[in-house]
Amino acid sequence: MQSNWRPKPGDVTLRPRRIKRFRLRRVLGVPALFSAGYGNVGSSIYYALGIVALVALGATPIVLGIAGILFIFTALTYAEGTAMLPEAGGSASFARHGFNDAIGFTAGWALMLSYIVTISISAFTIPPYLGYFWAPFKESLFVSTAASIGIVIFLMTINVIGIKETSFINVGAAIVDITTQVSLVVIGFIVLFNPVVVFHRIVDNWPTVDNLVLGIALASIAYTGIETMSQMAEETKQPEKKVPQALIMMIVTVLVIFAGISLVSLSAMTPQELASDWARDPVAGIAASIPIALIRDVLKPLIALLAGTILLIATNAGLIGISRLAFSLGSHKLVPAALSRVHPRFKTPYISIILFSLVAIIILFPAFFTTAAFEKMGTLYAFGSLLAFAFSHASILSLRVRKPELARPFKLGWNIKIKGRELPISAVLGLIATSTIWIIILITQPYSRWVGIIWMVTGWIIYYLYRRKEHLPLTHIPRKPGEVRQ
Amino acid sequence: MQFNKILVPVSGTQAGEEAVKLACQLARKSKGKILAAYVITVKRSLPLDAEIESESKKAEGILDRVERIAEEEDCEIETDLLQARDTAPAIVDEAVEREVDLILIGITYKRRFGQFSLGNIIPYVLKNAPCRVILYHQYAP
Repeated sequence: MQSNWRPKPGDVTLRPRRIKRFRLRRVLGVPALFSAGYGNVGSSIYYALGIVALVALGATPIVLGIAGILFIFTALTYAEGTAMLPEAGGSASFARHGFNDAIGFTAGWALMLSYIVTISISAFTIPPYLGYFWAPFKESLFVSTAASIGIVIFLMTINVIGIKETSFINVGAAIVDITTQVSLVVIGFIVLFNPVVVFHRIVDNWPTVDNLVLGIALASIAYTGIETMSQMAEETKQPEKKVPQALIMMIVTVLVIFAGISLVSLSAMTPQELASDWARDPVAGIAASIPIALIRDVLKPLIALLAGTILLIATNAGLIGISRLAFSLGSHKLVPAALSRVHPRFKTPYISIILFSLVAIIILFPAFFTTAAFEKMGTLYAFGSLLAFAFSHASILSLRVRKPELARPFKLGWNIKIKGRELPISAVLGLIATSTIWIIILITQPYSRWVGIIWMVTGWIIYYLYRRKEHLPLTHIPRKPGEVRQ
Repeated sequence: MQFNKILVPVSGTQAGEEAVKLACQLARKSKGKILAAYVITVKRSLPLDAEIESESKKAEGILDRVERIAEEEDCEIETDLLQARDTAPAIVDEAVEREVDLILIGITYKRRFGQFSLGNIIPYVLKNAPCRVILYHQYAP
């Protein structure tokens, strides 16, 4: 090589950029996806049973069943949407493609609310389960709320620092979760289940129509986490096949286990006991009601420990989910860039993690003063999640009308044809049901109504000011010349 | 023994660069080519496709340097920038997808709790690799 070589004037060295800046390594398969999804959805039974029993009383299993049907519709909608658009963002992404940026933001902002409340509720129900080891965790509202806030702060800190989490944690949690729940259902059916008692407890404690509807809305909390799978689509190999497979596996598992646990719970205790003494730790209530002392003595600490761990992982999953969602919205210019800012050292979206953790803590504050805060958190969750689910259904229908040519690797069957367009019945029914229940929540629940409206209006103001500052129209980002966008 | 495609995971260490040189020598014998891959690990609080500019810049710099080394060694090289949750599965997955004959990894002398340690990546790759693996251990006097 010549050492005295110098470039001649006019010599240009072209170093072509790598064709794509980076490639994503998608390594998740159905088991990992199912584990992550079930880790989230499966954990919600540890608090959903109590929160539903607060209003639905004897009708708790029925209400969970009806919500289960809505869950099937929603899961099917997510299966079609995620297979069609395998990207982070879930319902926000569907709405952005199906309608426009403003609707996409609205769906994403509603979804953020449900994520935040999930963090609050999961954190709020950990201390009562741990009450087995130290009674004030269950008996003192102040201690348990302070502990919940401590848990959120702890998770916020480790997520800002960015402790490495392997998929083994998800898989391990899902296995432990399913094993615990199946064992409880089997043991419960053998030693507790009495169909006559369950029938009488259902009939004698049938709620009012208002409470029945509210119960169905609250029962949607039992299916928290359906978004998780959608969010993980971009990490999945062949997402168009594997996400629907994992979703269907999850639907079946969740419905069977939840039906079993709710029936066992009504055999174990009256709806009043379920809604009062065991409202925040209903599964511990089942373990405590087992008549055989040996099994009870083993199960009580085991449930306390397992439920505490699983709920901690679920709280963390909520925090991870919301920070990913915020980043995804930020990359499509739906929220200010600050929410997507990555810490220079820890490489984590620290602003969104800290901000949303603080909002979760604020939502926990009323729990210092009243036990009713638990139910209020439930209705607030329903406000956000039902709105996001309604947008998902509407977006899938809109995409069927506006972009029928899009490849749909998982296409929902049972369609009705209107003007040559095929509309899936499950999405139509899902849209009607979720929006109706959302409106009922809006009318009947003042806390969710006002907190939810304040949240949404704040979001719209932020969105409006941000888009104006960036000189962007509210509904779409104009394409640059030559730009191809999906 | 012939190696037509050699995967060299790089992370900017000197051992990695020496591994590229060694891979070049091995590849030249069989007129093979090298694939150098840098893996950006993305924290779970971010979407996998999140573009972390500082990391991308660092990775581009390292891959540019590796390209220059291969050029000096007169060896055909292809570089790739990957984003993944974990480095080790990404390396194995890349080896499977690219159907490589050999993974050549440069390792530095690391201590953990006072003991020599291979870390987490090497044992995973050794256990799961679909092909031969050579570890190039940097001399540490």
